[in-house]
Formats: sequence, C-alpha cells, structure tokens
Amino acid sequence: METTNLNKSIKQKSEKYKFKPKKGLIGWIFILISVILICLFYFYPMLQALLLSFQSGAGVNLQFVGLENYTRLFSDPTFLAALFNTVIFFLIQVPFMIILALMFSVMLNNKKLKFKGLFRTAIFLPAVTSLVAYSVIFKYLFSNNGIINTILMNLSIISEPILWMSDPFWAKIVIILAITWRWVGYNMIFYLSALQNVDESIYEAARMDGASAFQQFFKITIPMLKPIILFTSITSTIGTLQLFDEPMNITGGGPGNATLTISQYIYDLSFEYTPDFGYASAVSFAIVVMIVFFSIIQFKLAGDKK
Amino acid sequence: MKKRLLLLASLITILFIAACSSGDSDEANGTSNGNDEDGITVWAWDPKFNIKALEIAEESYKAENPDFELNVIENAQDDIVQKLNTSLSSGTTKGLPNIVLIEDYRVKSFLEAYPDSFHEVTGSIDVNDFTPYKVAATSIDDKNYGVPFDTGATGLYVRTDYLEEAGYTTEDLQDIDWNEYIEIGKKVKEVTGKHLITNDHNDFGIIRVLIQSAGSWYTEDDGVTINIADNEALKAAFEVYKNLVEADLMAVHSDWNQLLEAVNSGSVASLPTGNWFTPSIKAEESQSGNWAVVPIPSLPGVEGATHASNLGGSSWYVLNIDGKEEAVDFLTSTFGSNVEFYQELVKEMGAIGTYIPAMEAGAYEISDEYFGGQEIYNDFTKWSGEIPEVNYGLHTYAIDDILIVSMQEYLNGGDLDKVLENAQKQAETQIK
Repeated sequence: METTNLNKSIKQKSEKYKFKPKKGLIGWIFILISVILICLFYFYPMLQALLLSFQSGAGVNLQFVGLENYTRLFSDPTFLAALFNTVIFFLIQVPFMIILALMFSVMLNNKKLKFKGLFRTAIFLPAVTSLVAYSVIFKYLFSNNGIINTILMNLSIISEPILWMSDPFWAKIVIILAITWRWVGYNMIFYLSALQNVDESIYEAARMDGASAFQQFFKITIPMLKPIILFTSITSTIGTLQLFDEPMNITGGGPGNATLTISQYIYDLSFEYTPDFGYASAVSFAIVVMIVFFSIIQFKLAGDKK
Repeated sequence: MKKRLLLLASLITILFIAACSSGDSDEANGTSNGNDEDGITVWAWDPKFNIKALEIAEESYKAENPDFELNVIENAQDDIVQKLNTSLSSGTTKGLPNIVLIEDYRVKSFLEAYPDSFHEVTGSIDVNDFTPYKVAATSIDDKNYGVPFDTGATGLYVRTDYLEEAGYTTEDLQDIDWNEYIEIGKKVKEVTGKHLITNDHNDFGIIRVLIQSAGSWYTEDDGVTINIADNEALKAAFEVYKNLVEADLMAVHSDWNQLLEAVNSGSVASLPTGNWFTPSIKAEESQSGNWAVVPIPSLPGVEGATHASNLGGSSWYVLNIDGKEEAVDFLTSTFGSNVEFYQELVKEMGAIGTYIPAMEAGAYEISDEYFGGQEIYNDFTKWSGEIPEVNYGLHTYAIDDILIVSMQEYLNGGDLDKVLENAQKQAETQIK
C-alpha cells in the first residue's frame, strides 16, 4: 500500500514537471538570445566561409570552383611548408610548455615556499601582456646585436653573434621560446588550482609508505591532474595551430618561410598578395580539420577507456 | 514538437528582422559616411614623407579653394592594405576614404581584384607629363587610375671617406657593373673592415632593383605570365647576390630599425636603395660630407642592363564613391599640374616627384652640403627618366616570397637553374 502511494506521488511529481510548458518556455527564451547571437556571429560566418572555400578568384571576382581549392592545398609548397612549421611548433612547444607548467605549479604548491604570491604573479604576468608588445620586445632581445647575443658573447658561450632571425633553425627556436614564455604561466594557473583540490592526506599516506618525491609526482600528482592536463594540451594545441602574432611580429615568417604558420599564410593570401579569399578560407578549414584531428587523438591518448 | 516549430519560427523571424534592420542602417549611414561635401578623406602612411606632401598640397590647393578641407588619416601601409581589402571585398563603401595612397608594386592587384571600386582619372591628367615607367605602373590597358606621386628612382649611397681610405673616388663608381663593384668592395672591406652593403634576406627589394635595371620583371609584359626560369636578368641578380654573400660583403639586418642603425652607425660602406632613403641618411648629422650618391652598378652580362632602377614609390588613387570629382580636382591641381608645388616639395622635404615639367623647370637643381655639394635631387630625376618600364603585374609580393625561399636554397649550394625552375613551377601552381 505504502509503496504504491509512493509510486503514485513520484508519478504525479514527474507529471507535474512534464506539464509545465511555461517554465520551459521561459527557459528557452533566456537561452534564445545567446542561441541567436551565436548562430548569427559564429555559425553563419562559418557557413559563409565554407561556401567561400569552394570559390576562387582575385578579390570580388569569385568563381565557383568546387573542390579545386582543397586539391590545390596538397600541391601548394608554401602551404605544406606552413603546415610543417606549425606541426613542428606544436610537437615541440606544447609538451615542453606543459611539462614546464607542471613543474612550476608543483614547485609553487610547496607549503614551505616563501613569497609564493610573488613567484606566482611573476610567472603568470607574461600571460597578461599584449601579444604584439611582447613579440616586438622578443624581436629586440634576439636581434643581431641584442641583449641575448651580448650576454652570450660576454659569457664566452659563443664567439660570434647568432643571427637569430636569419637562420631557419634559430628563428624557430626564438618563436618557441617566445610562446613558451608567454603561455607557461597561463597553463600553470590551471594546474595550481587543480592541485588545491588534491587531498593532502594522499601525499601523507604516500610518504608513510616511503614514496619518493618523484614517485609522488608521477604516481599521484599526474594522475590526479589528468583531466586538466588534457584540457590544457587541447587548448594549447588549438592555440599553437592558430599561431599568428608571434611569427608575424618577430620573424615575419622568415627567413624564407622557415617560421611561416598556417594562420600567417591565410593573412598573406588575403592581404599581402592579390587577395584570394576563397583559397584563404579553404586553408582556414584545413586548420579546423587539424584541430579536430589532434583533439581526437589527445582524447584517445589521455581519456578514460570507456 | 509544436513548441519547437514555434521556436524555430520565432528564431527565423528575429534573424530576418535583424538582417533587414542591419541593411537599413547601412543604407542610412551610406550617404553620410564621413565624406561630407566639403571634406576629402585621405589614407596614407609615413608622416615625414607622404603625409607631409599632402599637407603641402592642401595648403597650395586652399589658396584657390578656401573652403576646402582635407582629412588625412595616417595608417601604416600594411593596415591600409588590409582595411582596403576588407572594405572593398565586403562591398560596403562605408568608412572608405576618397583618396588612398597605394604602392606601385601592389596597385595592379587592387585594380584587378576590385574593378569597379576605383575611379578612372584618364583625361584628368596628361600622361605625357609623367615619367613613362610611372604611368605604366598606374594604368591598366591605357586607362589611368592613379595620379603618380614620388619616384622610387634608385641610387647607390656611398661613404666617400671609406672609399678614399681604400684608394677610390666616386669617379671609379661611374658606369661599372656589379662584378667590378664587388672587387672594389673587397678592397674596401680589407682596408676599413666595413661591409659593402647591408640587406635583409627576407626583403627582396634589392633583387627587384637589379632586375628592373635590366628591364625585366618576375612576370612578362602581360603582368601574368610567370618569367622566372628563363629570366637572364633574374639569374644574374641571383649570382650577384650570392657573390656578395660569399665574399662576406653583405651585412645582415632583419628590420627597418636595424637597417637605419647599420647605415647611421657607419658599419656599411654603401647602400643601393630608393631616393626616399635620403632623409634617413641625413638623420645622422655627424656624417655630413661623407656621403655621395652614384648610379647603381649594372647587371653584368645582361642585355639591356642600365644604371637606373626603381624601388618602391607610390601613387594616389581615387575611390569610386561620393566626392570623387572633388578628390580628382584636388589631385590634378596639385600633384597633377602644379610646378610650384613640386618645387615646394623638394625644398621642404626632399621629395622627388615624377612630373616632367617640374624637372624641366629646374626645381631640383639644389646642391646638398650633406652630400658634399652634390645636386642629388637633380641626379635622381635624371636617373628617374632612364628607368626601364616594366609591368609590375598582379603578383609581385607572392612571387617575392617564393623567390626568397629559392634564394636560401641557392645560397645553400643549390643549382641556380634548378632552383629557378622549381620556383617557376611553384609560382605557376600557386598563382591563378
């Protein structure tokens, strides 16, 4: 008897929710605004860009060319060079930065550390600087007679100044150093906040069992931070694939096209050369495909096997 | 289900209304887009040169038309290019200026890409009054679109004191080719330890100067057919470049400021560049009297090689929007026909135009103490008349970028013919 009553009341309750159209409608209206705005300013332009990517021509003289832009991608050496550079940046820079950010966050999470706030601010501060401003400063730091060369020469590490911007290898290094400097602090903040949620007693127990600091780091910290590491690597991947400001301002894509990124190539196609917006949007869709591809790989590598 | 339909319907209605209303406001603003009747807007870059010239032009025009108002908006050249591209491709004329300054290398791509956006000035100016190479750069199929402005006539700026130390005078630099100049450079380097020139491997200006001095360009005369693999002038220019690098005569800079520093600090003995570089040289007062300008060396072994070429230089273009008549009138009565105005230009700021009557009127016969009393403006105008005429075509900068990579391959030991063949193929696939 009691159970049937209970069932009945549950049923009534659920029916009560079902027959509250007004409540639902008000909810929908609230999200309607953002839905419309997102459609208008995100999906509509995306759709237009997709349509644009099937056309080609100078400026406004666009003609429908079907998939030609996409086949052109594979035979365009400049695009392939940009793709290669971007992948190099991403393969070297993202892991390097993630590891560095992890190290900093664990070090700063140390309870015995003094002036914690100062260090945190110092490491996070680059993330609030303007992309262009810091790029220009890096350009001067690494100029032929810049402070980096001066220091290295005064320390007798090198005998002749390194021509950072004129050497394909060093130019890539400068870009990697620059973006790492800019974004380590940003990623570190995520790890720091995640570390606050890791129960101290776990470490205590580990120490009781005689785990070394390294073991604690690899067996406790890393697994606990796994979702955050996944999140930061995906956002960093996306950021690196869209890299633009730094190569644009520090090296201008040079020497040759040694530091040209895909985003910069899109810029060149649209504004530097005779504009071909159709082909430029085909290139931008190549970035979309790559971001999806790399994100899926990262999910597969790091995600739970469910 | 019904609810969803309702939602969808309302969504579409709102979108529709939004679209309409945005259209309305465009139209409403279209008529009052900042170009009201008594004001002409101009986009230009470089306050010390182009904008100063505009100010002088405004003053001169105002003497006749006291109500005239000129709004000069200063932007970096890159920004102007970008803004023009976005505005013109979107089809809205809102916020566009009446007059815009465009570099000669780049203008054909604008005229071709946005055919109806520029106002023709054919007939408003007398093309015979301007140096032919400049008219070629600003016209398509005998239709003139630009009012020519400054010349990019090139010269070789040299440090006479360094040359003297090595036992040379400017007389030795007249009528030589690059191979001879490289020999001189080796001697100068030996004696003074200074590099002969400085260059940015990412800036192909010097190659463009060299090939135009022999009447050649990246493209054939039609401006479209790629002319790289069988281009003798380009080959010779590549060889000269490599010789300069291998003899360690070329210092390397990577941006404009480093270039200025190299020149003003006296760490290079010479620089082949456009005459607009004069103010930058003169900025270093302590070197007064130590500089001279000679014609650039010619390309060795190339038919039709001359000692005159062009680097940069730009012209004024009128956009096809309200106020175009007034804009054309302003340009033609200053840049297009006024000798006194050109005299003012050279006196005030050392800017050399391409207006022949001004050259003939002796506007440029001014000796410059900084250059040891040399009449450099006169020399530049003389050379300006000798610049071989080429069609810059649509793709200068796109091909530039391809060739910059080719140059790296060539410097690293690649075979020149093969390198240029590859560049030709790449340019053909990339440029459509």
